[in-house]
Amino acid sequence: MASTRLNVPGLDGRCAGASRAAATLALGGADLASLAGGSPVASEFPLPAVQDLDRFENNVQELVKPEHGTTTLGFIFRDGVIIAVDSRASQGSYVSSQTVKKVIEINPYLVGTMAGGAADCAFWQRNLGMQCRMFELKNKKRITVCAASKMLANTMYSYKGMGLSMGSMIGGWDPSGPAIYYVDSDGQRTKGTIFSVGSGSLYAYGVLDQGYKWDMDVDTAVELGQRAIYHAQFRDAVSGGTCSVYHITKDGWTKIRGNNHYDMHYQYYPGGHPTAANDVI
Amino acid sequence: MAESAYSFSLTTFSPSGKLVQIEHALNAVNQGATSLGIKARDGVVIATEKKLPSVLVDKDSVKKIVQLTPEIGVIYSGMGPDSRILVRKARKAAQTYFMTYNERIPVAQLVREVATVMQEFTQSGGVRPFGVSLLIAGYDSHGPQLYQADPSGTFFAWKASAIGKNMTDAKEFLEKRYAEDMLLEDAIGAALLTLKEGFEGAMDEDNIEVGIVGKDHEFRCLSKSEIKDYLEEIL
Amino acid sequence: MSISTYNGAAIIAMSGKDCVAIGCDLRLGIQNQTLATDFKKVYKIHDRLYLGLAGLATDALTLNQRFQFKHNMYKLREERNMKPATFAHMVSKTLYEKRFGPYFVEPVIAGIDDDGTPYITGMDSLGAMETSKDFMVAGTAPNSLWGVCESFYRPNLGADDLFETISQCLLSGVDRDALSGWGAVVYVIAKDKSFVRTLKGRMD
Repeated sequence: MASTRLNVPGLDGRCAGASRAAATLALGGADLASLAGGSPVASEFPLPAVQDLDRFENNVQELVKPEHGTTTLGFIFRDGVIIAVDSRASQGSYVSSQTVKKVIEINPYLVGTMAGGAADCAFWQRNLGMQCRMFELKNKKRITVCAASKMLANTMYSYKGMGLSMGSMIGGWDPSGPAIYYVDSDGQRTKGTIFSVGSGSLYAYGVLDQGYKWDMDVDTAVELGQRAIYHAQFRDAVSGGTCSVYHITKDGWTKIRGNNHYDMHYQYYPGGHPTAANDVI
Repeated sequence: MAESAYSFSLTTFSPSGKLVQIEHALNAVNQGATSLGIKARDGVVIATEKKLPSVLVDKDSVKKIVQLTPEIGVIYSGMGPDSRILVRKARKAAQTYFMTYNERIPVAQLVREVATVMQEFTQSGGVRPFGVSLLIAGYDSHGPQLYQADPSGTFFAWKASAIGKNMTDAKEFLEKRYAEDMLLEDAIGAALLTLKEGFEGAMDEDNIEVGIVGKDHEFRCLSKSEIKDYLEEIL
Repeated sequence: MSISTYNGAAIIAMSGKDCVAIGCDLRLGIQNQTLATDFKKVYKIHDRLYLGLAGLATDALTLNQRFQFKHNMYKLREERNMKPATFAHMVSKTLYEKRFGPYFVEPVIAGIDDDGTPYITGMDSLGAMETSKDFMVAGTAPNSLWGVCESFYRPNLGADDLFETISQCLLSGVDRDALSGWGAVVYVIAKDKSFVRTLKGRMD
C-alpha cells in the first residue's frame, strides 16, 4: 500500500512545525486510490510499542483532550447556509483561550466546524482541504459537499477506536445547492438542515428551533445564528468568548460577524439578564 | 424503678412559695468565714478570713482565693468542698470559651455560667444546692468588675460587697468607706479595715488572704509580705 | 466530579488602610450549566464583618444560617458584636467539629476592629486558618485570583482605591475560570463609610 507514493511539491514547506512529520506521514499513506475518496491508513502513524494498545490509547486520551467545551451550529435557509460558532477553548474548568477560530475554511465554498479535540479537527480538516484540492486538480471541477464530507467520514472511520475526537459540520455550496453534513469521529455522517454540535448545543438548539423559518432573510438568519450562540455561551460554562457567523451562498462563504460576548450581552439586555431576579443592592 | 420515676428535687416549694432548701443553704453561707470585695476605679480587691480548725494544720497548704482565668479570681464563703465543684466547672467553662473564640471569657459571661450551674442544683433531681456564695473579681475589656453569686443562682455586680459570718456589719462598714473614685491601693486598705472589724483575735498575714486585679489584667494573690506591709500601713 | 467545584465560586478579600474589601462572583451553576447570575456568596455578619463562603452552595447556605444563629446568640449573651478574629476562630472550630464529614466550603472572613484595624483570613473546609495581612482568595479559580492579586495589590490603599483594585482583580481572575463570573459584587468596609457595588462582568 505504501509503495505507491504521490509527490506533491512544496507541501512540506507549507506545513508548519510540529505538524510536518505527521502531515508527511499522512500524505505518505495517501496513494492515488485514497485521494479519490479514501484516506491514509492508521499504520502510517507510528504506533507506541506497548502490549495493550487500547488501554494505552485510553490513557493518552485523558491527557490530550483540550477543547471540550464548544457551541457550533449550522442551518440551511432560503438564502444559503449559516454557520455560527463560539471561540472558547477550555481544559477542565480552565479557560485556555477565548479566541479560537472554530470555523475551518477548507476552500472558498466549503467550511468545517470544530468541536471535540482541537488538534484532531484542525489536522484532519486541513487534510480534507488537501484531498479536496487534489480532487479538483484531478477532475477539473469542485468537489461536492457530499463527497467532501464522505472523505472526512472515511478518514474518521479508518481511525475508529484510536481515540480521535471530532464533531464537525461540513457546510458549503455546490452545483446541487447548499448542504450541511454532520461528521464525527465515530464515523457517523448525516445530511441535514439544522445542526448544532458541542457542549452548548442543546441551548443553541432551543433558540434555533424556536426562531427558525425557511423563508428568513439573511439578516434575520445571521441574527438567529448569533442569538443561539449567545444563549449557549450564557448558559454553558465552557462555551464563550466571541461569536463568529458565516454565510455561504453560491459565491462561497463570507464572514458576517465576529462579536464579543460582553458586547452582545449588554446590547441584548442593557438592564441586566432576566436570570438576575434580585435588584442591585 | 418507682423511686426513680418519683425522685424529684429536694428543693420543693413550700405552700408560702419559698424554697426552704435554698434558705438553708444561705444559712450555711452565713456561718462561713467572712469574705468581701471592693471594686475600685482601676482594679478590684477581694479578701477573706482564713481561720483554720487547728494550729496543727499547715496553713500554707490552704488557699481560699483561686484563679479562674488569668484576669479573673474568686473567693467563697460557706462550704469549701462545694466551692471546689464550682471552681472546676467555672474553669472548664472559661477554657471552652477560649477554645471557641480564642479570647478570654468576659467576667460577666463566666459569672453567668457559674450562676447557671448553681441554679441547676436548685431544680434538679438527686442534688442539693451549693452551700456557698461567691465573690468573683475580674478586669476585662469592660473594665474592673465585682460579682456576687448566691446558692439560688442569683447574681449581681457590686461596687463592694461582703458575704459570710459578718456580712451585715461588713456591708454597713463598706457603705461608709466606699468612694466612687477610689483607687485600688485605697480599696485594699478599706478591705483590710473592713475585715478587721469583727475579726476574732489578731488579724495578720497568716490568717487572711487578699486577691487583686489591676489595669494589667492579671489577677493575683498578695504575698504574705505584701499583706504585712498593707496591714502595717493601716494600723 | 469534584464536590467543591459543583457550583462554582470566586471570592477575594483585601485589606487597605483602616478598611477591608470582600467581593464575590454571582454565578450559581450545576457543573457546566449556569442556573442563576444573582447568587451572592458573601454574607453580612454585622456592619463591620462579612463572611464569604465558596464551595458547595447548599453547605454555604446552611453554614451561613448556623453562623447567623451563633452570632445572634452571642449578641444576646454578651450584648456586643463579635470581633473579626473572634468570629474567625468560631468558624474554624465549627468546621473542625465536622472533621470526618465536612461542610464542602472554603470561608473567607473580612472585617475591621472597633478601631478600624483590618482583619482578613481564609481557611480550608476543615477550619485550618490562614490569616493574611494583604489578601485572601477562595473558589474554583484560585490560581487566577492569586495571580492578579499578587500583581495588582498595593498596601495601605484607601477605601476607593481598594474598591478599584479588588474589582479589577475579581473581574480579571474569573475570566480564566469557566465556573465563576457572570458579574460580581464588592463590599468595602471602613470605619466611617462602608459601601457595596455590583459590577458588570462578562456573562459567558
